[in-house]
Amino acid sequence: MYPAIETNGLSKDYGSGHGLFDLDLRIERGEVFGFLGPNGAGKSTTMRLLLDLVRPTAGSASILGLDARADSREIRRRVGFLPGDLALYPKLTGMEMLDHLAELRGHPDRGLRDSLAERFDAELDRPIHELSSGNRQKIGLIQAFMHDPELLILDEPIAGLDPLVQASFHGLLAEVSARNRTVFLSSHTLSEVERVTHRIAILRRGRLVVVDSLENLRQIAIQHLEIEFTAPVPAEEFAGLPGVREAKADGSQLTVAFEGSADLIVKAAAAHEVRAIRARENDLEEIFLRYYREEAGS
Amino acid sequence: MSQAVFRMAVRLRLAQSASAAFGLVAVLIMVGALFPAVGDAIGELDLPEGVADLLGGADYGTITGWYRGEISSVYGPLVAGGIAIVAASASTAGEEADRILALILAHPVSRAGLVAAKAAAVAAGVLIVAVATWVGLIAGVAVAGGGIGVGNLGAYALHLAFFGFASGAVALAIGAGTGRRGLATGGAAAFAVLGFLINGFAPLVDAIAWLKYISPFYYYAENDPLSNGVEPLDLLVLGLFALAMTAIAMLGLQRRDLRA
Repeated sequence: MYPAIETNGLSKDYGSGHGLFDLDLRIERGEVFGFLGPNGAGKSTTMRLLLDLVRPTAGSASILGLDARADSREIRRRVGFLPGDLALYPKLTGMEMLDHLAELRGHPDRGLRDSLAERFDAELDRPIHELSSGNRQKIGLIQAFMHDPELLILDEPIAGLDPLVQASFHGLLAEVSARNRTVFLSSHTLSEVERVTHRIAILRRGRLVVVDSLENLRQIAIQHLEIEFTAPVPAEEFAGLPGVREAKADGSQLTVAFEGSADLIVKAAAAHEVRAIRARENDLEEIFLRYYREEAGS
Repeated sequence: MSQAVFRMAVRLRLAQSASAAFGLVAVLIMVGALFPAVGDAIGELDLPEGVADLLGGADYGTITGWYRGEISSVYGPLVAGGIAIVAASASTAGEEADRILALILAHPVSRAGLVAAKAAAVAAGVLIVAVATWVGLIAGVAVAGGGIGVGNLGAYALHLAFFGFASGAVALAIGAGTGRRGLATGGAAAFAVLGFLINGFAPLVDAIAWLKYISPFYYYAENDPLSNGVEPLDLLVLGLFALAMTAIAMLGLQRRDLRA
């Protein structure tokens, strides 16, 4: 079975170090894949390359087993796209805009559109120029999903959405993924991809830094232990242990940031009377910042 | 051609075309109403040849000369060309600048089909203006006391429409090729103004008289359709030029990246 997205050395060189360089990526069908990176990292450029809106300077991409350039029209028939800088015809109502986009696809079925509108509580009867950015974003999401595409390419999909709609959107992602639809979404909102994606890629300055599952990334991330003693303990006892990045004492509480095994830290703590030990869950924010810093420092 | 894109493009420009059409009808009737009092009084002006040509012969003493001077020489092409250029610039370059084009082209629409649909929509807007011109001229000439046949008035409206097609197609080609709305509008307007001046002044100097053949104004006005009716060859030249520019627009959009 062909993957949903496969790129080989995909590049778009805008000059002065801007663009996308040598992207090798494989996203399987049914995956919810998060594409992370700071602004200007090349996330939107990648998506525009996949949809043939811009052309690569090197490399190639295939979508749903089809060539991204030669078979672009067929690909676009089977893909739903939400641009990061969504713009719509301001004088139309949301309903008129969606009707027009459905017409472009030759897909007049309104059933799914209506159920999505209800799900997102979208205002479709008002002119678009009167809508808030969040309500316009809802229309953007509906148009991306309303033809039940095999692949969804979503650039910053929750921008401007309130928490209730975000939750509804996350539920929708889970549903489409369960039906073997693929979702390729970009974000710089780390909590968003942490909640909904199976794997993530981190992009920086147009280059892929890492691709892995969240589980694996968490394992290699810096971990934190909070140890509560019955009496104050000097942090220096822990700061020099192998793998420890940082040890901070606050009264009788010690926080240790470390990589790898916690064995030596626990053994060192055992020399004192320990009241409690808590492991803080690693989040993507730290993983992301770590890769960001490493790249920036290199 | 994408029919959905065509319908939407017509819809988005309909208010502009309709208001221009109503305005034109009103102006053409008003101009006709002024002829009995003003046209006869002015008569034929004694102007240098080039200047007189720019004013459609400057013969205000006849109803044909009156409309040629008041409408056909400047006002008509200004409105038809203006409507066409503004609509064409907005249709691809404008939508690209407004970031809507990326969403439209993320749908299964070919770039060539999109350009063809936009060109057809611009042509539809120009036709609305041309039909309004015909209706307004019929009414205006009737108010003025008659003197030009309905067929010749229709011939003029047809020449005006083809001039609009040519002007709009230049804007479409520049806009689709560059993605820059200002450049498309300015470039096409410059093309029209230069054509106007070349057609008026180039014939005064033998060595460059041939330049008039590269001006769309020559094919629009030289045969004087208000007096002589349709000149098929002139319409063919303008039509082929518009089609060539549309083809260039298709190639231009096809070959480049959409602007971010």
